[in-house]
Amino acid sequence: MRVIISDQTKVQYRYPARAVGILGAVMVIVSIFLPWSYGQGALDDVGFTGAPSPLQMFVVILPVLVLVLLAIPLVGKQRLGKVAKVVAWNTSAKTASIATLVTVTIALAAIAIELKGLANVEIGGWLALIGAALAALATPFLPDSPEPTLERVKSPKWAQIVGIAVMMAAVLFAAAFALNQTDAGAFLTYLAFLVGVVLVLRQFGVMGWIGIAGANNNRVLVMSAFIVAFAFPFTQDGSDANMSIASQVLIFAAAALGLNIVVGLVGLLDLGYIAFLGAGAFTAAVLSESAFSTIDFHPPFIVTVLIAGAVSSLLGLLIGAPTLRVSGDYLAIVTLAFGEIFRITMNNLDGNDGPNVTNGSNGISGIPELNFFGFDFGEVHTILGVEIGRFANYYWLMLVVIALIIVVFMNLNYSRIGRGWVAIREDELAAEAMGVNTFALKLLAFAGGAFLAGVAGAVKAHHDVSVTPDQYVFLESAFLLAAVVLGGMGTVVGVLIGATILKLLPEKLRFFSDYRLLLFGLLMVIMMQFRPEGIIADERRQLEFHAEDEELAEEIEEELITHHAHLNPERKGFEL
Amino acid sequence: MELFFQQLINGLSLGALYALIAVGYTVVYGIVQLINFAHGEIFMVGAFGAFGTWMILGQPKDWSVAASLFILLPLMLLGGIVTSVAVALLTERFAYRPLRNAPRLAPLITAIGVSVFLQEFVRLFYGRIPGFPDAKSAIAFPAIPGISGESIQVGGVLIQMPAVFTIGALAVSTVFLWYFVNRTKTGRAMIATSQDADTARLMGIDVDKVIVAAFGVGAGLAAIAGVAHGLSYGNIDFRMGFLAGLKAFTAAVLGGIGNINGAVVGGLVLGIVEAMATTFIPGQFGSSAWKDVWAFVLLILVLVFRPQGLLGAKVVDRA
Repeated sequence: MRVIISDQTKVQYRYPARAVGILGAVMVIVSIFLPWSYGQGALDDVGFTGAPSPLQMFVVILPVLVLVLLAIPLVGKQRLGKVAKVVAWNTSAKTASIATLVTVTIALAAIAIELKGLANVEIGGWLALIGAALAALATPFLPDSPEPTLERVKSPKWAQIVGIAVMMAAVLFAAAFALNQTDAGAFLTYLAFLVGVVLVLRQFGVMGWIGIAGANNNRVLVMSAFIVAFAFPFTQDGSDANMSIASQVLIFAAAALGLNIVVGLVGLLDLGYIAFLGAGAFTAAVLSESAFSTIDFHPPFIVTVLIAGAVSSLLGLLIGAPTLRVSGDYLAIVTLAFGEIFRITMNNLDGNDGPNVTNGSNGISGIPELNFFGFDFGEVHTILGVEIGRFANYYWLMLVVIALIIVVFMNLNYSRIGRGWVAIREDELAAEAMGVNTFALKLLAFAGGAFLAGVAGAVKAHHDVSVTPDQYVFLESAFLLAAVVLGGMGTVVGVLIGATILKLLPEKLRFFSDYRLLLFGLLMVIMMQFRPEGIIADERRQLEFHAEDEELAEEIEEELITHHAHLNPERKGFEL
Repeated sequence: MELFFQQLINGLSLGALYALIAVGYTVVYGIVQLINFAHGEIFMVGAFGAFGTWMILGQPKDWSVAASLFILLPLMLLGGIVTSVAVALLTERFAYRPLRNAPRLAPLITAIGVSVFLQEFVRLFYGRIPGFPDAKSAIAFPAIPGISGESIQVGGVLIQMPAVFTIGALAVSTVFLWYFVNRTKTGRAMIATSQDADTARLMGIDVDKVIVAAFGVGAGLAAIAGVAHGLSYGNIDFRMGFLAGLKAFTAAVLGGIGNINGAVVGGLVLGIVEAMATTFIPGQFGSSAWKDVWAFVLLILVLVFRPQGLLGAKVVDRA
């Protein structure tokens, strides 16, 4: 239920609301200098032994944001000048205080669970909770601020680049800190904090500004993103635990990006996509120098990768050619059936029920480490004084693969082929009438997506050391699809975020690993009900899912115009 | 020749199981054009519902044949049907109905989510009901005196009683279904809605009710299939809905999706093909490990050469 506070009430209570909000924020800030819990066993020690814990130092950023957002407007509109108008002070203060409340609540719940009982929450924790609750109750009484228009403000190029750099550095720092949280409660608290900060920044208008800055300096953005991703292993201090997760995330993300072409761009629902990854992995395994390899042909890895991709895309053609004529739902089921055929076949090619190619359910193990011109991926190398372990090596390799995929994807998106794909997705009949060769393009997408999965699979075979058929079950296809859908179909960033969430969360939240799939199923259902377009929405797709929402249509139209006006300043926007 | 007839019977019994599930896919697809991916799980839930009924009845083991056949079995069927229908209607109400007008991808992904959710829900929580066995691995299905383990000999062919039950259940269900669809008001409303939902609405048909009826009928038949599966294979498992559902969908497509008679024919044909493939395909590829592969190859072949199915589908080309 949504409680609506009338505008009149808001105007009437705006001063007390601001005062109470500030008081609440100050209470939370003060609280980190007091112990939150008895004993040191919870959230990596929030018992205040001399100084606030690192986690608290992060969490306190939220109440500080509340304080700043509430205090600065007190200076007065005249003195703030233009700045006052382009950002949303009140609404972002509201978001920040709610985020504070959520984060503090999660932290206290974690303390209570980890130390068995709410009695272990000490004065600091209660003070934080009360302060956060005060702020969260008071700030909704502030008048709503207008939508932020920060992105329309002309800013010099250097400012934009600095903005991008700052954001990227923050991302790197945040990711490294998140991965180092071994305690599940601390991880969840930190996650709530991160989501809160992102929401506040979006509400405030910073995200929109970054978006425009990024669009203006596309290359800088992409390059800096890669530099950050490249630098990530250096923050791990030679620890393999997180790099193992990170490299798995990248392999998963590469496959998800391939699926994104098929599902996100062309709109073909493929429920057997994991089979292509598996085909690549098995090809690479059979061609590797493993003792269990069944073929006496061991080309260098560069060749193997290409063969693996080719085998996968051949399978894609094989399955696509007959089924792409019947569209939609049938394709989903046929690909699902194909995935099962693949898994069963790999299980059966054991020399007993068929020729021996894969050793059946035992699979092929003992796949040797990759070796590029003497660079052994299995060994630990020391670069700049930081130990770079095995998983970091694979991580960098996958980074290169993903970079290639993204470059291809971005360019395709604006090419004749990409536009043809989107046209097919939007309306196949109309596309065909306009002269788009729908069948050939669909087949190309299918085979291309399969190729990417095959390449990812080839690396995965070496990364995992062994390949077995039971790694390639339907559920994995469902996970890949979920990564695409959750993140945002048709977008690169979205899919990367989706893949990270789906791989990272189960690793960090092992304490409810039994409920993982249950929550996964529930998440899919809820997502489709409330945000079918995913976390990062493709503009066109957002319209598709909210066809009757006139306001949104206008908003997106306007956004597209301003966006393109920034891209092509000399044209001053374009007619839609 | 005896081998042929033996496999024919085996195939018919397997096919009857597929057919009972396939009807649910086809009825729902005919009306809302949704592949109810979770229908396999409805089948699974039905089997667990029947098992639960048996548990509530106090795990009767030594009832007489007559009492088992005429009291115990009907009660278990009823329990299964009630559970399945309840779950199916809940999913329809809370997962699918809000997405009635959404793009087609949304309900399909929802269906996958529902499917995973139901499987996990049974796995995690079935054993939490006091006295119930843990469902994390397969549960032995109770033996019904007069059916389980019994068989009749016709010529050189051995017919298992569970097979007779499955085929008989299909026969009775088909007659019931024919009567329901062609002779009752709700059934005719279903036909009208599947032909043209908008016009049906203008004619005063409550389309929401019709959709609920379609989900209910499909779930009821799936529950019967669940009991038949339990009797035939002797155990039930939270995972059993996935493959059975996939096969049943294949059967529905084989017969022509949206066509109720087609689902029955398609199920029987698929069952017979599977049984025959394990016997008459020579060499290693004829082993039972490949039977699922042959079923899915059949699906792909049908889609290539006769996408409208054996008896003709309603609408094929949908984005």
